[in-house]
Order: sequence, then C-alpha cells, then structure tokens
Amino acid sequence: MAQVGNFALILALVVSVYSAVASAVGAQRYDPRLLASAKNALLAATGLISLSVASLLFLLLSHDFGAVYVYQYTSRDLSFPYLISALWAGNSGSLLFWAWLVSLFALVVTIQKRTANRELLPYASSVMMITQAFFLILLVFVTGPFARQTAVPPDGMGLNPMLENPGMILHPPALLAGYVALTVPFAFAIAALLERRLEGWLPTVRRWALFAWLLLGVGNLIGAWWAYVELGWGGYWAWDPVENAGLMPWLVATAFLHSAMMQRRQGMLKVWNMSLIILAFVLAIFGTFLTRSGILSSVHTFGESSMGPFFVVFLGITLVGSFGLIYRRRELLKSETEIESLVSRESTFLLNNWLLVAATFAILLGTMFPLISEVVWRTRIALDASFFNQVGVPLFLAIILLSGLCTLIGWRRASPGSLARNYVLPFLAALVVVVVLMVAGMRQWYAIVGFSILSFVLLAILYDWLRGTRARRRMRRENYFSALWGLVMANRPRYGGYIVHLGILLIALGVTGSSVFATEKEATLKPGEQMTINRYVLTFNGLGYFQTPSREVVTASLSLASGGRPLSEMTAEKYFHRTYEQPVTEVAIRSTPLEDVYVILAGWEADQTTTFSVLVNPLVSWIWFGGAVLVLGGLLAFWPGGTPRTPPEDAEEAAK
Amino acid sequence: MKKRKFLIAGIVLFAAIGFLAVMAFRGAAMYSYTVSELLEKGDAVLGQTVKASGEVAPGSVSYEPDNILKFVITEGGNQLPVVYQGVVPDTFVESNEVTVEGQLDTSGIFQARTIMPKCASKYEPE
Repeated sequence: MAQVGNFALILALVVSVYSAVASAVGAQRYDPRLLASAKNALLAATGLISLSVASLLFLLLSHDFGAVYVYQYTSRDLSFPYLISALWAGNSGSLLFWAWLVSLFALVVTIQKRTANRELLPYASSVMMITQAFFLILLVFVTGPFARQTAVPPDGMGLNPMLENPGMILHPPALLAGYVALTVPFAFAIAALLERRLEGWLPTVRRWALFAWLLLGVGNLIGAWWAYVELGWGGYWAWDPVENAGLMPWLVATAFLHSAMMQRRQGMLKVWNMSLIILAFVLAIFGTFLTRSGILSSVHTFGESSMGPFFVVFLGITLVGSFGLIYRRRELLKSETEIESLVSRESTFLLNNWLLVAATFAILLGTMFPLISEVVWRTRIALDASFFNQVGVPLFLAIILLSGLCTLIGWRRASPGSLARNYVLPFLAALVVVVVLMVAGMRQWYAIVGFSILSFVLLAILYDWLRGTRARRRMRRENYFSALWGLVMANRPRYGGYIVHLGILLIALGVTGSSVFATEKEATLKPGEQMTINRYVLTFNGLGYFQTPSREVVTASLSLASGGRPLSEMTAEKYFHRTYEQPVTEVAIRSTPLEDVYVILAGWEADQTTTFSVLVNPLVSWIWFGGAVLVLGGLLAFWPGGTPRTPPEDAEEAAK
Repeated sequence: MKKRKFLIAGIVLFAAIGFLAVMAFRGAAMYSYTVSELLEKGDAVLGQTVKASGEVAPGSVSYEPDNILKFVITEGGNQLPVVYQGVVPDTFVESNEVTVEGQLDTSGIFQARTIMPKCASKYEPE
C-alpha cells in the first residue's frame, strides 16, 4: 500500500507540472486542445493525490507499524476519529493534506460553471498546479509519509494525549483548509495580471476569499477554545508563533474582503487589493513554513532543516514574481476615482485597511524578532506577550471603533448634519456606559474605553438595522419582524457582514472582560480545607484514584459555593497514559455567562496535601458565543444569491 | 489637496503605531540565551530577567514540597540548575527542549518565573 501511495505522489508531481505548463502555454497560444489536456491532467492529479491520501488512511487504519508515520503518530488503542486525525498530526501528513486540499479546490474551480472570467481559468489553474507541485516536491524529495522501517514494532508510539480532544479533529483541518483556500484568489489575481483583464475579476474570487476567511476564523477560534479547555494554563491565546501564523492571514483576508468592496463600487484601490491577496497567500505559506521548518528555535536549526530552503525559494519567487507583475501592469491598475472626502465611508474603509495591515506587520515583526535580532545583532531577543498586547489592543480597539463609524457614514461624502443625526444615539450609549461603569467603581481605563467602544458600535449597527427596517416597513406595509427579515435576506452579504461585526463585538467583550479582570490564586489545601477567591468558596473534598486500560487517573474533587449557597461539584484531574510519558491535566471549569471558575490540579503529596491554581475568568463564554455568531454571519454572507442588483445604499437614497 | 490630507493622515497614523511598538518593545524585550551562552556571560546577566533554553536532563527532575520543582537543563555539554514554583505544564517532560524565563542568582541557580516546554507536536523541524 505504501508503494502505491508513494508512486501516486510521484506520478501526481509529474502530472501537476505538466498541467501547469500546458495551461500556461495553452493560454498563451489560445490552443484549446492543449488546454483540454491540461484540464485532464489536473483531474488526474486530483485522483492521484486522493489515492495517496487513501493509502495513508489505509495504513493508519490497518495499524501497519512498518510505516514510520503510522508508528510515530498512532497506536492500537487509539479510537477511530483520532486515527483519522493522525493524517494531519505529523509533518509529512499535514503536507500531504495541504496538497490534497489544493487539488480538491482546483478541481472545484475547474468544474464550476462560470459565466464570467472564463479566460482567467487557464492561468489560474496553472498557478494552483505550481503550488500543488511545490508541496508534492516536498513530499517526494524531502519528507515522505510513506517511509518504511525494516523492523515492524508490535505497537506504535501513539498520538500525543494532549491532541486527543475534539479540537484536534476540527482545528487543524479548518486552519489548513483556510490557508489552502487562499490559493484560489491568489491564482485568479495572478491570472488577471497575466491576461491584462483587470476589470471585473474580483466577484469571481470574493466567495473563495470569504470561504478562506471563514475557515481561518473557525480554525483560530477552535484553537483558542482547545487551548482554554485542554492546555490548562487558564488562557486561550498566548501570542505563540503558531497562533500568530493562523491569525495573520485572517487579518489580511479581513482587510481584503473590505477593500474589495471599494474596488467593486468605485474602481479604487486596485494595486492595494492585488497586494492584499498576494500577502494573504504568502502569509499562508509562511505560516506552514514557520511551524514546519524549525526556524523559530534558531537560525542554526533552520540551517539543519532540509525543508526550510525549499520554502524560502518558493516564497521568494512568489513575492518577487507577483509584485514584479503588479509593477509591470501599474498603468492598468490606476484608480478610476479618487476618494472625494476625508469624511466618507471610503476613508473609514481605507483607514481600517491600513490598521489591519499594520496590526499584521506588528505581529509579524514580534513573531520574527528573535530571528531578526539573531541575524542582525547575533543575540536572540525575544518579545513576550506584553508586546503583542500593547501594540495589538489599541489597534484592534481602533479597528472596532471604525467599524461602528463606517456603519452610519455615507459613501462618497457625508454631510455634517446627517452625521450628527446618525451618531447621536450610539454616542449617548457609549457615554452612558462610561458613566455607569465609573459610578459602579470601575477604574481600569482600558476596560472602560473598550466597553464604551463596544456599546457605540453595537448601537450603530442596531440603529442602521432599525432605519432599514422602518424604511422597508413604510414602503411595503410589512410588520417590523418581516420587514427586518426581508431586509436581511434581500442583501445577505451586507447583513451577513453586520452579523459578523456583532460576533466580533461579543468576542471583544469576552476578551476585554477576561484579560482585564481575571483573578488567579494558588492554594495548598488538606482535605476538608477551604480557599476563597472573589465571591467564591472552594472546599477540597479529597483525592481519588482510578485506572482504565490505557491510563491512570488522579482526581481532586472540590465543592464550589458562593454566599453560603452551594453551586456545583468540580473535579480536576490528571491523567497518566501508559504509552505516553507526558501527563495530561484536565481542568475543571464551571462556566456561566458572567464568569468561569477554572481549577487546575497542580500537584499533591502523599498525605493528600494538594496544590490548586484557581482562576476566575469573567465573560469568557462570550468569546465562544461570539464565535458562533461570527460563523453564522459568515455563512449568511457566503450563501449563494441574495445580492441586490442595485447597490443598497443607492436604493436607500432613492427611497428617501 | 485631498491626496495631501490622506498622506498626512497616513504619516500620523504610522508614526503613532511606530511609537506604540517602540514603547511596547521596551517592556517586552528579553535576551534569550542557550545554556552555554548564558554561562559564558557569567556575572553580566546576574539579576537580569532573561530566557535560557536547553534540554531537561534525564533523571534531574525532582518535585519537592510547596509545589517546588527542581531540574537541570543542558545544552552544548553545559548544565544549568533551575528552581521553579508553580503549575508545571503537561509538556514538561525529561529530555524535552524547554525555555525557562527568570534570573540567575549568585549561587549559579536559575530562579525561573515561567517554564515553556517546546510543544513537540507543533514545532517539528525536519
């Protein structure tokens, strides 16, 4: 089976390279036969890579420990879903998964019926095949998932028990699929540049960009949730390079989705949009590179890594090639219009774009700084999370504030009178929030500013919906509910977008609450003893111990009470797997909309004296709830149809 | 005229972000050494908060009362004894790569404030 998989990869590489070349040459010579053959090659490559994935799955499911990959990441006692997840648990498996997703997306793009931009398809599929070939080269020449060892061990090393969490089944594939989906907009952008067809190609890629954005968002959120419930340090985001690698392309994709609207409406920002697409793609590849090449630990390990140089070359070619192409097409990329006024929706969009890109570069700089300093000053200087928080938080708050400002500002040019009228309600809401919080005794100014911005933006969105609903109700004589429903359904991309904004507000609420007001306390207790944290009293009831076939478990049970009223029983655990050296801490979490009580079993002694680390994290659940809202809004915007023929604002203006 | 307005807005914005980054940098920057590099610096790093990384020496880990953890990290043939108090991350395992953050005291013991084991599944160089 391993030979089949490996041979399929080699063949897929040959076929992909052929398809890339044939597409490009066919497009240049307008040769339909060559193009048809390139398309067939693309289909064949998809089939071959799928065959390779199938054979790796077969090896995993049949416990063939003669295959090194199967030996390293699975064991006999691993359950079915985690056997499947082993496909992306390791280095070469995740690269194979990358290549497979590229081929599937390329297949979808090729067989999709399209009425517009058919001319771009050959070059676009050529770009996708080159990307695919790059990953196949890594798989064939550097790190094959089908390597075999002569001795067949009776059992495998097993999956790291920390990865045995539903997060493992969803988080990596979502993030990887998000990375890969960015290949499609990039491919079409390059095709548009090559074909000199720089009008009207954006609608073709909007849904792919949105798809990628949604997957990256879901991937990051699930990752954060996973870290929160599994890693046992009480937080959900540590500005770890791996996390940053997932966040950066998402931020750039966010910027792109907004600036693309400006190009579609006004023909502006063409070079900027191109650059964002390229940047998003490069960051996606870069993210894979960052996590897989070992460059983060030191320049020296990077020198020893065999995969790193391949990535550097590929990234270099991509950057130089694409920006060179933009430069050569600069005459065709001139803006058709200029922004009319500093006070307009256009300028808030532009400013927001700048801020998103600036935040991305700040994160990139922070992530790469140890490396940069090692190269430049020969000493590694690391930046801790406070760097990212201090730079990121003001930028993200500004971005959120702008999203509220732009909701109620007209396109082109806004009159001062209409601005004052629109903003009065949100502004009052923000003011009321500040006063109420100050009176309630809150003095953390970061939180006060944060909460008032959030309420400003919330009211801005709600006011906009109210206006739209009223106008529709008057025009169609509907009741409020069906008017609102009709309003949302008549322009799903727009209202889906607003629902995403609401999701972001909820996430920001949770992040602000949990980062400013978290309390942490450590306590060493004997059975029967109590500790207090904020308004809670925790009573330690004692340690327990039990065994299962695969592990030994130590449990600590506690009773949580507040104001004399019992709230819940909590059990914090530590697992010791027989096959894996590393223990797994299972935290106990009692979650309410107001706050989470988070208990970590830190250690114990023979006489049952046990140490706990307890955190009270306010508002954390809103992050997960906001995440669900964000996904809902994203899906609404992604769902086909529902775009009005006339731009909505113009229709609204006409209605007035 | 409008272009100039936008240019000025852009410059102000980027200056502000740059300022923000520099301010944040001051509090967040920290030297990061390997065990050998740290020992080479000797007295120069006493009392400075730094990062040090190496491998957790097999057999050196001991859990003591009051949630104190003692272990030795090695790199390039050099050894650094470390003391830490607090929650030990699950990924802290003997022979695994670890980065400790804290200060070297006069007796040559590294007083760690945080320990960050390298997550083997995430960073896997080939």
